[in-house]
Amino acid sequence: MSWAWLDSLRETIGQPQFTLLFAPAAKFLVAIVVILLIIAYLVFVERRLLGFLQVRLGPNRVGPWGLLQPIADILKLLIKEDTIPNRAVRWAYLLAPCLVVAPAFVIFSVVPFGPSPNAPGAPRWYVTDLDAAIIFVVALASLGIYGIILGGWSSNNKFSLLGGLRSAAQMVSYEVPQGLALVGPLMLAGSMSLVGIVESQAQRGLWFAVPQIVAFFIYFVAGVAETNRNPFDLPEAESELVAGFHTEYSGVRFALFFLGEYANMIVISAIAVTVFLGGWLRPFPSIEALAFLDLIPGAVWFFLKVFAFLFLFIWFRGTFPRFRFDQLMALGWKWLIPLALANLMVTGLLVVLLNGRT
Amino acid sequence: MNGNAPTGEPLFGLREMELNFGPQHPATHGVMRLKLKVDGERIVDCYPIIGYLHRGTEKLFELHPFFQNVPHTDRLDYVAAATNNLAYVGAVEKLVGLVVPPRARYIRVILAELQRISSHLVWLATHAIDIGAMTPFFYCFRERELILDLFEQYCGARLTLNSMRPGGQPYDLPQGWVERCGEFIAEFPAKVDEYEDLLTENRIWKRRTVGIGVLPPETAIAYGVTGPMLRGSGVDWDLRKALPYEAYGEVEFDVPVFHNCDTYDRYLVRIEEMRQSARIIRQCLDRLPDGPIMAKRPRVLKAAAATEAYHAVEGPKGELGFYIVGDGSTNPYRCHVRPTSFMNLQALPEMSRGALISDLVALIGTVDIVLGEIDR
Amino acid sequence: MSALKQFLDRLLLLDLFAGLAVTGRHLFRRKVTVQYPEDRLEPADRFRGMLRLDSERCIKCTLCARDCPLDIIYIDWHQETNPETGKKEKVLDRFDIDIQRCMFCGLCEEACPTEPKSIWLTTKTYELASYDRWQNLYVTMEQLESWRVRPSYTDEEVA
Repeated sequence: MSWAWLDSLRETIGQPQFTLLFAPAAKFLVAIVVILLIIAYLVFVERRLLGFLQVRLGPNRVGPWGLLQPIADILKLLIKEDTIPNRAVRWAYLLAPCLVVAPAFVIFSVVPFGPSPNAPGAPRWYVTDLDAAIIFVVALASLGIYGIILGGWSSNNKFSLLGGLRSAAQMVSYEVPQGLALVGPLMLAGSMSLVGIVESQAQRGLWFAVPQIVAFFIYFVAGVAETNRNPFDLPEAESELVAGFHTEYSGVRFALFFLGEYANMIVISAIAVTVFLGGWLRPFPSIEALAFLDLIPGAVWFFLKVFAFLFLFIWFRGTFPRFRFDQLMALGWKWLIPLALANLMVTGLLVVLLNGRT
Repeated sequence: MNGNAPTGEPLFGLREMELNFGPQHPATHGVMRLKLKVDGERIVDCYPIIGYLHRGTEKLFELHPFFQNVPHTDRLDYVAAATNNLAYVGAVEKLVGLVVPPRARYIRVILAELQRISSHLVWLATHAIDIGAMTPFFYCFRERELILDLFEQYCGARLTLNSMRPGGQPYDLPQGWVERCGEFIAEFPAKVDEYEDLLTENRIWKRRTVGIGVLPPETAIAYGVTGPMLRGSGVDWDLRKALPYEAYGEVEFDVPVFHNCDTYDRYLVRIEEMRQSARIIRQCLDRLPDGPIMAKRPRVLKAAAATEAYHAVEGPKGELGFYIVGDGSTNPYRCHVRPTSFMNLQALPEMSRGALISDLVALIGTVDIVLGEIDR
Repeated sequence: MSALKQFLDRLLLLDLFAGLAVTGRHLFRRKVTVQYPEDRLEPADRFRGMLRLDSERCIKCTLCARDCPLDIIYIDWHQETNPETGKKEKVLDRFDIDIQRCMFCGLCEEACPTEPKSIWLTTKTYELASYDRWQNLYVTMEQLESWRVRPSYTDEEVA
């Protein structure tokens, strides 16, 4: 038995080209798997938590405490009949779910999950560190809109059409305050790379949510609107449009839309945590007395903060009525954009005036 | 047959979209079809089409003697069965000339007011969930369970009660019922405060309901709209005060009237009515007289020939009336129902012109229709 | 002062926080779910459930059939002479109920003149589901007298 192939494999892995090409791909795969698991159990946690908010128990029959429920749901969706409406526009109908899911996952390639040790060649907690990561994130988030519009229009259903159009208008309008809100921390950090922003927060010893509280609020509200979640969930308002743009989808395609929505939720939370809440930093990084909290690894802090945001998403869903469409647009254009611009001006002014001290 | 006349020449040859809202739709509260002409999101016209739940109830009434028709009345407005029973047996008693003993009258008032609370809880639950707030649904149904338990202990059924007979009550209150009802009433106003915390001052709720569905009082009266819809438009008309029946003349309560004529005011009217119902029940429980629960009446009830009677009660949705014609036999010759929701539904097209589809859902909720009553 | 307070309320979104507080409190309250079928709620004493007949007590007056609003009780009886006592008595041939139409209103129980009633609904039974549709259309006299309370579905299947 010759083990020569194993030796040659070891040799191949050791070469620098491998680290350059294959290591990021492997990390990306790991990130996707982790995120998929989180999404599956996020659906379960949402149903349970919504139940608890609504004075009832959520699903708790399948497996101990209902923990196998996501697996049952996935299996069910996989074996469902794949229907395509009679006069649907086929290529758009088939493409739409993919356009919603893919950008959400790709964004995770620039998010730093944990602290990066300074030694070169050591494994990093991010897939890649782009210099213009923020622009990359905002650009990819915009791609998700195409999926929704195509899905709503191609279904040959008036309700879906209305849902798709509403969603398109909503998402396009809320992209602007979202982007503007992100510029504030950019100015404070002086770098567009997400890793750089977290490093800058570590340097100051202050989460950017403190000086940029208005931008934080705007980003979060715009984020809730971007993901079509309550109180901005008109596009999929069950009581008005049956299921909005994904009325006609069933089985795996519906699962993909669903997956895309929850992936977007996690993306918004992850970016909010990275830019405003210090990423993998502990709370109050400047206070030495709390240095013992550093025992908890940075990645754990990151995920704890992301889960806190997801809890907020679910809490909002359980509490608020939804905005009507024109009120939603009015909120975005008449309130959030001027507020974001004002925040931008004030931040810019302060950065210039205190340029020695910041 | 063209009820949906267009409101003017279309601009640039653009045609409005015709959208079918229902009969299968999560928000139409039953099988009702609304043919909408929409221009983008704005409703140009709205044409309700009903009849999907027609069961021939009024014909059924003609086939059986008076007391056998009481279970059929349960199924008219199935959310407020005791009110239907009350209106029907009141009409029969007027027709035949029976005098109900005082204890039975008080028990009827307690049942009717409990039913009013239950119906308003269902209304709040469905209205809130249509507007997007999911949680009041569960909180309201938690309270409604307690009311349904009380009904079950009294007459054996939770929804289709069959709880009254012409001449009085079939059963007396069971042991401990008065105490249990008192406990429920003691805790209930705190629960209403909880619903109000969630909704009344909430800016999103206010934006969805203030100024939506304005129904001026003259229009409301012209359409024959009654109940909270009328009182939300500033008209102070409540049959319990204007033409008291059963024991309503002997208890103290206020009738909430608000003057802005919009959905928010109707919401406030119904919330306040829930509190006032609790007050009425408290007084009735305290003053419950002893005595017989069934009038002295012949074993077989016969109405004299060529007599008629109309009796109306103030139901949770408005004025519910029964018009019975007797022909000398044990069966009614004709029994016509004056259905509350049917009259109230007439106001919907008027209120919805110019509104958005999201508003239409809020409007259907505020009209508080039950298809069983509309279609019979 | 009140206008300032109102302005601050609106600015700081206090009405939204009040709503969040209400739902947040409910996270920690006891949940009202009854985990059927392990836990069940006991119906009230007067609960109108499945009908039951006792043909021994029945005096074959057919008042129940007359009073049914849906006319779904079918009674046949005939008179015969009891060989032992020599008296004429009524024998119940048929007491069937078209159970698919029954609305469980209880008027038949109210009409029954015997003490205790010969037909009654206060059996606290509402679990009438079966795996075979034909069981639930029509119940004959024998079935009305002898149906068993349906055991928990985790037990063996009831025929």
